[in-house]
Amino acid sequence: MWHYLGRRLIQVPLVLLVVSLMTFLITRATPGDPVQIMLGMQTSQEAADAMRAEFNLDRPLPEQYFLWVAKVATGDLGRSIRLNDTVTSLLAERFPVSLQLALAAMLFALAVSIPLGVLAALRRNTWIDYLCTGYTVLGFAVPNFGLALILIYIFSIKLDWLPITGIGSMEAAAGGWWSYIAPFIVPAIALGTLQTAMLTRLLRSSMIDILSQDYIRTARAKGLLPATVVIVHALKNAMIPFVTMATVQFGYMIGIQVTIEYIFAVPGMGSAILNAVVTRDFPVIQGFTLVIAAFFLFANIMADLLYAVLDPRIRY
Amino acid sequence: MAIAQPPATPRFAGSIRLAARQFPRHRAAMVGLVCLVLLCLAAAFAPLIAPFDPVQIKLSAKLRPPSLEHLLGTDHFGRDVFSRLLYGGRTSLSVGLLVVAFAFVLGVPLGLASGYFGGRTDNLLMRLVDAFLTFPPLLLAVALVGLLGPDIQNVMLALGVVQAPVLARMVRGSTLAVREEVYVTAARALGAGPGRIVVSHLLRNVVSPIVVQLTVVFAAAVVAEASLSFLGFGTQPPQPSWGRDMSEARRFLGDAPWMFLGPTGAIMLCVLSINFLGDGLRDALDPRAWRTRRTVAAEER
Repeated sequence: MWHYLGRRLIQVPLVLLVVSLMTFLITRATPGDPVQIMLGMQTSQEAADAMRAEFNLDRPLPEQYFLWVAKVATGDLGRSIRLNDTVTSLLAERFPVSLQLALAAMLFALAVSIPLGVLAALRRNTWIDYLCTGYTVLGFAVPNFGLALILIYIFSIKLDWLPITGIGSMEAAAGGWWSYIAPFIVPAIALGTLQTAMLTRLLRSSMIDILSQDYIRTARAKGLLPATVVIVHALKNAMIPFVTMATVQFGYMIGIQVTIEYIFAVPGMGSAILNAVVTRDFPVIQGFTLVIAAFFLFANIMADLLYAVLDPRIRY
Repeated sequence: MAIAQPPATPRFAGSIRLAARQFPRHRAAMVGLVCLVLLCLAAAFAPLIAPFDPVQIKLSAKLRPPSLEHLLGTDHFGRDVFSRLLYGGRTSLSVGLLVVAFAFVLGVPLGLASGYFGGRTDNLLMRLVDAFLTFPPLLLAVALVGLLGPDIQNVMLALGVVQAPVLARMVRGSTLAVREEVYVTAARALGAGPGRIVVSHLLRNVVSPIVVQLTVVFAAAVVAEASLSFLGFGTQPPQPSWGRDMSEARRFLGDAPWMFLGPTGAIMLCVLSINFLGDGLRDALDPRAWRTRRTVAAEER
């Protein structure tokens, strides 16, 4: 397994290199000049030239790319053109916020999908199963920003139970645990519902599959408690594909937050990229996409490893 | 001397006919198909159906709740929400269909080439696909559209570029499986060139997973277009668009919930119909899932 892990880890920088080349090409091949956007139209030629020189934008494209990659290799992601800050320190602000929201959404997805999937499999073709199917079908169909608006309308406007904004704000951090957690609830549900639907469906079908196996019948025949059979014999095995999928989905979550961050004014990675795209802040776009891609790659490797740990039959 | 007959490629027209016979037995799929056709017709004939001009501003009638005159109420400019939904559907559905076409034209040849030729071609193409797939699709689309300029053509282009690698990966997988079949070897032994093998032996036999995947692409494109418009990168005002209208509705959540419920419902209906249709197609195109009298009886037992 260590051999396999090593081989996968060696591939990471290679994929990231392709990713970095792609983001570089996309930013440079599209119209829009960051310096012009930053300084406006009235600026003098000298000022614009000085700024281009500062960010190496006056160099030929291959040179720009290699200068950037060489710096990234030393851990320096460059400076933002727009904001007076380094990309690394912007990341240090934004990444934890996105990570917390992703964790909250995943927590919601797990808390709903595990009981729902198991119950639906145990009570097949009853109202619980139909409820589960209905939930997954709707969960696949509702766009997360639409769900967010519905939830805001119900829980924040009509019932006035939960705040709309506040993730990453000073007040939320200074108050008690509730004032810290409350702003996460609505965005996490809106963000995690699609994953909940996927995971519930997966767990339901793998539980149904496993519950019909011979060893489950044997365990029941031995007179084990029904709960023991379900949890120890069935659920433990059904968890193998479930955990893998949950981990892969978690890897995606940082990158799919952008609409949710937009609605709930979350100072996360998605809104930073959104702003950087509008202002053509190339170093921020490049640095942030690189981190998101790396996060996704590591989540995938983690999923493969967990698969091997959980299922002793798997050998890499 | 009689020449031994090579094992026959599964007959194409025959299997389509069988699948067509299976499809109507899937009740949800039929509902999905009917809904989708109705949505398409409503969008196509929007000028005939819409009771009001979707961009006509009438401030005296702003934020009216649903009534007989305005079935789904009016927005903050007094524009009829229902009429805007009909016109917005034109954008969403046509973007969806064009993205499907674009992903097909780009993704299928790539996947076929990768799967058929294998080796270095395969390695190169798949690493490229890997790189594309490490980006969350919506973020890549946002970056592309944001940089190219917010415009509906760019939205289609970006979504096509985002969806094509997914399709290519899938086609490659199916091609690899089919490539080793005996009838492909037989065709090669009879002197069929790569073009003939790819088109009439490989493509024909990977067509079912492609069709099913295209429904997934369609649904994803509809949601992605709405997301981009919601973020301000898609359809520009005052043109009606489901995503854009939801973004505007955000400011009137408490006063005019019908403004966001209309477009949300439209997107959900659209995605639901496509998903049901996809499920039905998957079952109809997979002979193992065919519902015969015997399997139906077994299920009921």
